[in-house]
Amino acid sequence: MTFYFLKRVFYMALTLFGASILIFFLYALTPGDFVDTSPKLTAERKLELKAMYGLDKPVVERYFIWMKNAFQGDFGYSLQYQQPVMSLLNDYIWNSFLLAITSTFFTWLIAISIGVLSAARQHSWFDALVTIGVFAAMSLPVFFVGLLFIKLFAVDAKLFPAGGMMTIGSKETGLAYAWDVVQHMILPVTVLTLLSVGTLTRYFRTNMLEVIQQDFVRTARAKGLKEKVVLHKHALRNALLPAITLLGFELPALFGGAIITEKIFNWPGVGQLYMQAFSVRDYPLLMGFTMFLAILTVIGNLSADLLYRVADPRVRLK
Amino acid sequence: MKKRLSQIISTLLLGTLLVTGCSSEGSAPTTSTQTATPSTEAPAPAASKVQDIKDGINLATDLSKLPEAATKRTDTFIAGLTEPGGVFNPFFYHNGYDGNVSSAIFESLVDVDATGKPVPKLAEKWDVSPDQLTYTFHLRPNLKFSDGSPLTAEDVAFTLTILHDKTYDGETDIFVASIKGGREYKEGKANTIEGIKVIDPQTLQITTEKVNAKSLVLLGGQVLSKAYYGKEYKPGNLEYLRTLHGKPLGAGPYKFEAYIPGQEVRYLANEHYYAGKPQVEHFIYKTTEGDALQFIQTGEMDYNSFTVNSDNIEQLQELGYVNINLYTSSAYSYIKFNHSKPFFKDKRVRQAFIYGLDRQKILDLTYQGYAQVANVPISPVSWAYTEDVNPYAYNPEKAKQLLDEAGWKPGADGIREKDGQKLVVHYYTTKGKLGEVLIPIAKENYKELGIQFEAEMMDYNAVLARTEKGDHDLASFSTTMLIDPDDGVDAFSTKKGKSGFTGTNGYSNAKVDELLEAGLSTLDIEKRKAIYKDLYKELSDDPPYIFLGYRKILSAHNGKIKGLEPNPFTGISTSLPGIKME
Repeated sequence: MTFYFLKRVFYMALTLFGASILIFFLYALTPGDFVDTSPKLTAERKLELKAMYGLDKPVVERYFIWMKNAFQGDFGYSLQYQQPVMSLLNDYIWNSFLLAITSTFFTWLIAISIGVLSAARQHSWFDALVTIGVFAAMSLPVFFVGLLFIKLFAVDAKLFPAGGMMTIGSKETGLAYAWDVVQHMILPVTVLTLLSVGTLTRYFRTNMLEVIQQDFVRTARAKGLKEKVVLHKHALRNALLPAITLLGFELPALFGGAIITEKIFNWPGVGQLYMQAFSVRDYPLLMGFTMFLAILTVIGNLSADLLYRVADPRVRLK
Repeated sequence: MKKRLSQIISTLLLGTLLVTGCSSEGSAPTTSTQTATPSTEAPAPAASKVQDIKDGINLATDLSKLPEAATKRTDTFIAGLTEPGGVFNPFFYHNGYDGNVSSAIFESLVDVDATGKPVPKLAEKWDVSPDQLTYTFHLRPNLKFSDGSPLTAEDVAFTLTILHDKTYDGETDIFVASIKGGREYKEGKANTIEGIKVIDPQTLQITTEKVNAKSLVLLGGQVLSKAYYGKEYKPGNLEYLRTLHGKPLGAGPYKFEAYIPGQEVRYLANEHYYAGKPQVEHFIYKTTEGDALQFIQTGEMDYNSFTVNSDNIEQLQELGYVNINLYTSSAYSYIKFNHSKPFFKDKRVRQAFIYGLDRQKILDLTYQGYAQVANVPISPVSWAYTEDVNPYAYNPEKAKQLLDEAGWKPGADGIREKDGQKLVVHYYTTKGKLGEVLIPIAKENYKELGIQFEAEMMDYNAVLARTEKGDHDLASFSTTMLIDPDDGVDAFSTKKGKSGFTGTNGYSNAKVDELLEAGLSTLDIEKRKAIYKDLYKELSDDPPYIFLGYRKILSAHNGKIKGLEPNPFTGISTSLPGIKME
């Protein structure tokens, strides 16, 4: 086990090294840089600024400078925001996380319940309705649903706020603030959940169906267990196993920000920060953020594998 | 209902584009408040539905429709701003929206009015020596920063000094003013700048080495407090300033209260403001990265700007309780020629490209009437604007004739040729509505002339990079906000060559060079007007660009806000101190 773990960590390091090269060169070789995007500068001033930011050095040298600093935990200063990349991400990433974790929670909750129910009643009218429903929800574009919800529930019915994370100018603190945020979360979380619940529901339904047809389920039924126990205790647990891998993939998504949803609801998430950074080629910020997501992806994968072992004794890690 | 749905769908299209295509204009931050978002909506025939709307402020028709949220708010003015980034210092920001945030906090000595002419602010008056090289600014008595500390000539001197520092990386180019001893200071050969002299706390004298009409506004810029920003200053080190960008201190109408990243910037009225404390106690810039109309509809927001199109205008008119402001932008859009290409050496060819392009049609389809054709490189809002040049009305016959004269004869396939070379031009543009409308029209227009027009749409940065390399024959851009007429023409100097998006790749005209120099070498606006008129005539005859259009800027504010008059040069910042809420 220890050996396995060490081996995996070694692979992780290699993967991240590869990712860092890819990320760096992808951004460094995209046309235009931070100085070029400034419209008002003279050619002479541009050269001065490039030298000041180190953009005049050869790409390979820039990569090593960046790596060296990154190893010391220094992801540099955002060129546009004039702040350390990490503190800047810290300002935005938790807002995205809040939205993502809540909608992920509801997505899984709903997907598991519906998936199990419709598997248990395969080909029933309930199953058919759910199938149509989730496919319909899946195929709607997020901006359409988002704007429609704002129009219906915020502007016309005035049930929920039209966007943002808190009432403009609000000085509430503590619980009152939390309640304000919750109200602002309802619409975006609903939209996000609605759009992602479909895939997961189908996934669980299929898993369930597969498990139900296995011998041990027949055995359980044969020894006279109630259908409820058979489904929820024996079948569900086995059907959930492959979902652990999915859970691992969710980790980076929790922090990645939902760019379109955040934009529509004026949510102060990391998605808009990223788009802004990309349009002005703010390399330190772009690389810091993408690298952070790469690290999370790798960690997510590792934890999924480790969790698998805990959940399923049949899996032996070598 | 049908109409509503079409509105929703067009907004939706805009939504996707915000995500996919906003880099073009979003990445060229300007100090304007426009949200400039390209859109792909099909040219809507909806123009007829829009009631007459005139330039300037169109007053609200029915204030009784004001949403409750708006009527309840009596001491807070809330304006939308796309995305401020937290660098609230007028000389250090790299994001135009931070410039908007800063302009409420920092006041300048000299500002410009709605036609771009200088007007006194913190400086009561200024004298310019007969040789136009020495400026003496007379500050108003008892000026204070928002913390109550005095604002003196020392602070102005300090501000101008750090702009000369060799580690200064902001976008203000103080060297345009050529202050005496400025270069020496930058190079570390002098400890102070010779040309900046504090005569007494209220008087500052600045000596420059070269007459430049742009110097006055540049020297009379916003003022930083020496006591606050200069405590740790040592020449060659400005890094400490970064920690102060998030807690600015100035002498503007409002003082900074709080910044919530991605959400709001909050201000309080500044009791020490020179023109008296603003009547509205609180002011908030709300980040509106996405759709902002919803906030106006719910009454949560008082002011925002919108993409100009008849859909937006119609929706705003339907609300009834907003004043709609429409004015012409101070920028212009253009298609630049790559002057290093042999076929553009002959000015008749360039003229033919202008005559042969139906610019009116392109603008009408793109902006639904909210733009006008440009023939001079300055907006009609400026004092330097003139219509006394060749209007280059669409005239394919004239274009053909010019191409014939220039020796380009139609070949067997209909494409013109000269010396065995075919007239094939490559055009680059950013993704967006203008490009989508322009490309098919230009293709057709030029095909009629016997020119093969090959277009490519790409990301703004990619267009910049490719044009910098000189790959293009033609490329579309728009200028940033132009305050001085020189800003619109300085790229045409032989010396400039090809820097950035205004670069001409080798346009050279001795008369233009001469007039460019002349335009800057006097501060007398009447004399300058005459010079620019001559210059525009010469540029019309020997065109450096195809001037395309001046577009309108649309914004709206809640009708109970009085005294808010957005202007093309300063947005809402000029009228901010005087607004009232009923």
